[in-house]
Amino acid sequence: MSETTPMKKPKRPLPKSRVMTNELMDSVYAAAFDAEAKGEPVGWSTSIFPQELCETFGVPILYPENNAAGVAARHDSPRFIAQSEGELGYSNDICSYARLSIGMAHMIATDPNYERPALAMPRPTFLLCATNSCFELLKWYECLSRELNIPIFLQDCLYNYYEEEPASHKVKYARSQLEHNIKRMEEFFGKKFDWDKFLEIQKISNENSRLYDEIVLMNDRDPAPMNGFDLFNYMAPMVVARGKKETTAILLQLKKEIEENIAKGVSTFGSTPQDYRVDWEGIACWPNLGYNLKTMKKYGINCVTNGYVGAWSLKYTPGNLDEMGSQYMQSSTNVNSTLTTMGRRADCASHFQCDGMLCHVNRSCKFMTYHMFVGREIVEEKAKIPVASFDGDQADPTIFNEAQFETRVQSLVDIMKQNKEAKR
Amino acid sequence: MFAVGIDIGSTASKAAVITEDGVIASKAIVPIGTGTVGPARVFAEALDRAGIARSDVKWITATGYGRFSFEGINDQKSELSCHAKGISHLLPQVRTIIDIGGQDIKVMRINEKGTLVNFVMNDKCAAGTGRFLDTMAKVLDVSVMDLSGLSQRAEEPAEISSTCTVFAESEVISKLAGNVKLENIVAGIHKSVAKRVASLVQRCGIEQQVAMSGGVALNKGLVHSLEEEIHSRIYVHEDCQLAGALGAALYAWDHLQPA
Repeated sequence: MSETTPMKKPKRPLPKSRVMTNELMDSVYAAAFDAEAKGEPVGWSTSIFPQELCETFGVPILYPENNAAGVAARHDSPRFIAQSEGELGYSNDICSYARLSIGMAHMIATDPNYERPALAMPRPTFLLCATNSCFELLKWYECLSRELNIPIFLQDCLYNYYEEEPASHKVKYARSQLEHNIKRMEEFFGKKFDWDKFLEIQKISNENSRLYDEIVLMNDRDPAPMNGFDLFNYMAPMVVARGKKETTAILLQLKKEIEENIAKGVSTFGSTPQDYRVDWEGIACWPNLGYNLKTMKKYGINCVTNGYVGAWSLKYTPGNLDEMGSQYMQSSTNVNSTLTTMGRRADCASHFQCDGMLCHVNRSCKFMTYHMFVGREIVEEKAKIPVASFDGDQADPTIFNEAQFETRVQSLVDIMKQNKEAKR
Repeated sequence: MFAVGIDIGSTASKAAVITEDGVIASKAIVPIGTGTVGPARVFAEALDRAGIARSDVKWITATGYGRFSFEGINDQKSELSCHAKGISHLLPQVRTIIDIGGQDIKVMRINEKGTLVNFVMNDKCAAGTGRFLDTMAKVLDVSVMDLSGLSQRAEEPAEISSTCTVFAESEVISKLAGNVKLENIVAGIHKSVAKRVASLVQRCGIEQQVAMSGGVALNKGLVHSLEEEIHSRIYVHEDCQLAGALGAALYAWDHLQPA
């Protein structure tokens, strides 16, 4: 190396909780490939399907939404999206996660030698679809089912417009579907459902949800002990392995690390001063996550919280199917009215003492776009903080523009700065 | 001791020089923007008009999309804050500003100090931006400066339903082929831009008085269409195109004041 060549800044070693997270993700993917190799069932699931069922059956499940996020973050989404829009003829106006996974499913089904992404998924033998996180999931999974000629287990979740918690008839409907799905799965997997194991899985799932919520709340300190974007990484085990003990171990380790950070007065945000606390609204802009974080740091912004990462915290009394059904009927944000959803966001922003909110208007998600434009006024009025929005997408890199993002962030900072000065 | 503000936009470069006493010493506009020789030329022109050398300049603040790329600046500010400060200096009663830039539409609410309180910007689509007007002028084979006069002579604005730059272009071509009067087509284009901008104005909320900044504000036909759409008078200062540069210069001047 030339003496004049500047030394590259060494990468900070990953904290133990992140290493454990990566190991868990590897093992979940490996188990799915192993099952495929043995000719055993493997499922693809929407992100908030009652995972307790297949965890009890011991059948491996992977999650196309989580997979799409990982593929997009590695800048490998365009070729799968192009496959969907090109050969398969899907509109570029539908969800990019759907385009990505349908394109990948087609490659898996038709070309055994296709170039696998770093996060490859095996061919599934069945699908799990819960409509709680998005009503378009029905069509997406119908397309996957047709493409791969495999069955769907459906957990239909109803919209809670008139109430914050599902009404009793909805709870009954949710419970009856859980029972029906268990019966159908017994037939499909050729195994009896083990109700004792189910109770254990429910306990683990609830403990993980409780721990995760506790961790998210620890960032309400000022300065925050965590870079808020870390939550985008730690939500992976909650999505993919919420019913596993390994997730409990990760969350306990993470909690310990945060407590150590608090005791030492340090943060995973690094040495950059946390001048502004911002509530990031909406999903991560996965293809541009690095740029988003770099720009935020440049202006001293720590996105200390966001409403999206908490969608996998489902808490109910283990053994109570009604409560469990009810929880799945009300998570996530897309089965609740805008007043409920954005009212909670405003409360959250106030609790975390946020100076502002930054909304990722995700081109893929028309539903959240409804929430955000109306919700902006709710948050401005209730939490008394400025709100800015920017265009992006969860997996399609053609939507985001760096210069437009920075202009909006910088203008939000100008307003937050003068608000802070006015308070002094 | 002078302060300079330079606004490097996507289609034009603007600069303003302020003296130690806070007086505007010179202004300059060059009709080419970031990535061209425009920024260097406008900077040199502004200094030349003020009769000063580079060494007389103590602080330079840059704004606009090219704000990170101009060498020798002391700091940079977002164009929204600079337009807010600049317009507030020119028209102190204004509380709502509309700026139609080359690729952005910005609606800003400001306070009595000229600082930004709230803002709304267009989404990624270039519909209704300055670039949209440039493209339409090219299709009609007229100068963008002539659009204002043409639309004021219109009898009945033509219906331009698409806000997409590419689709609107083909719509305009079909109007020309259908012998629709040029004046009516231009008025129709202005109306389509005004409708798009008005929805952003309504989203941000109007507080009187309302002003337009940026070069597009010189297009009286468009300003008139926009006034009709938002049901409000719009004030336009003769230096509206320099508002961003002037705001940047005022920020630069602030740096030279004793703490």
